[in-house]
Amino acid sequence: MRNLINFLIQYSVLMLFLLLEIISFALVVNNREYQKSVFFTSGNVFVSNMYEVSNSVVEFFKLRTANENLSEENTGLKNEIILLKNELSTLRPEKEDSVHFQIPPEMEYKFISAKVINNSTNKLQNYITLNKGLRDGIRVDMGVVSDEGVVGIVKVVSTKFSVVIPVLNDKIKINCKFKKNNYSGPLQWNGADYRYANLNDIARHVEFSLGDSLITSGFTSTFPEGIPVGTIENFKIRESDAYYNIKVKLAVNFRTLSHVKVIDYKNYKEQKTVEKIAEQ
Amino acid sequence: MLAVIQNIFSFVILVLIQVLALNNIQFLGFINPYIYILFILSLPVKFPRWLSLILAFILGLTIDTFSNTIGMHTFATVLIAFFRNGIIKLFTSIEEGSNPVPSFYSFGVGAYIKYVVFMVLLHHSSLFFLEAFSFQNFWMTILRILLSSFVTVLLILGIRSFNRK
Repeated sequence: MRNLINFLIQYSVLMLFLLLEIISFALVVNNREYQKSVFFTSGNVFVSNMYEVSNSVVEFFKLRTANENLSEENTGLKNEIILLKNELSTLRPEKEDSVHFQIPPEMEYKFISAKVINNSTNKLQNYITLNKGLRDGIRVDMGVVSDEGVVGIVKVVSTKFSVVIPVLNDKIKINCKFKKNNYSGPLQWNGADYRYANLNDIARHVEFSLGDSLITSGFTSTFPEGIPVGTIENFKIRESDAYYNIKVKLAVNFRTLSHVKVIDYKNYKEQKTVEKIAEQ
Repeated sequence: MLAVIQNIFSFVILVLIQVLALNNIQFLGFINPYIYILFILSLPVKFPRWLSLILAFILGLTIDTFSNTIGMHTFATVLIAFFRNGIIKLFTSIEEGSNPVPSFYSFGVGAYIKYVVFMVLLHHSSLFFLEAFSFQNFWMTILRILLSSFVTVLLILGIRSFNRK
């Protein structure tokens, strides 16, 4: 007995060591299969409370990322709203179509809203970049308008972007006519002032006055008839001239352009093929 | 008395650093330094062995509780607490009657580094093999042990080099 006690005292540390190791090893083995005790895990109240406090500190540093994510989500949702609105506006007329027998001419067009992401007004050949492209249904030769009036014609399209030649580019001429008497002529920019352009080919005998409004003629497949282009600001004609020299105040302020609509003419292909056949 | 309070303080601080900061590092996917064993490493040389075993048990259990690895840290920490005196005797010759706290100053730089490296390797080896609980991915486990030990040793030596004496 005394020997045993002596032995135990002598090896007490070793015994304690073995005991503790056996306990911890048993804990490991026991908990490999399933979580048995809640107390010695992070499920325990004290530990979870502490993690909560620590999280609230860490969260503070994650606010920036959270903000970014939120704003991304926001824009995504906004885009979806625009998309749905677009869809709704294109669906509505079709519903009415089935009710009324006639297809009203203005329903042949669908609008694709886009945002101006690059724009200039100070060059001779200005271009506008839009944030919509092929995947949004935009193709070359579509007309672009804003709420005020004609903006330009789509020139180049990539998957996500498109480049528009606006009225403020001497490369394009937009056919327009007087609202009151239907005489038409091409509108061209002279490269000087972003507020004004010139209307050509209006013959001497045409009667008009200052302030008359010009609208698109509808002769091309690009623009439907009746979109405002501008108003007559000033005109000159010399004795020897056959045509007027008309200064037009453009309806659109190109300096402040931000949101535009691209016109999708649904019968574009059909019209083109018919015209081609006729030319042959 | 002061030493006891100091030790409790360092215990709490080390546990907090370990569970709140270092356990979230997971550098390169598997490097996870464990500096909490600095508490065991820094007990005075002649500290009662039974008490150091008990303290190691409590320390390991605390870490286990926080990191949901019940038993693993406990096992490894008790293990190094038990072999600590032997390792100290192996590398140093402490005079009879003195009871220094292990440090660069008391052990000498070389001996202290050896002591830390040996203790950390012992701890990490038992911990990682217990975590893997098999010898299947043997070399992977060895790699994890070596890399994590390296980082732990660097951190511990870094911390110790600040408080001289």
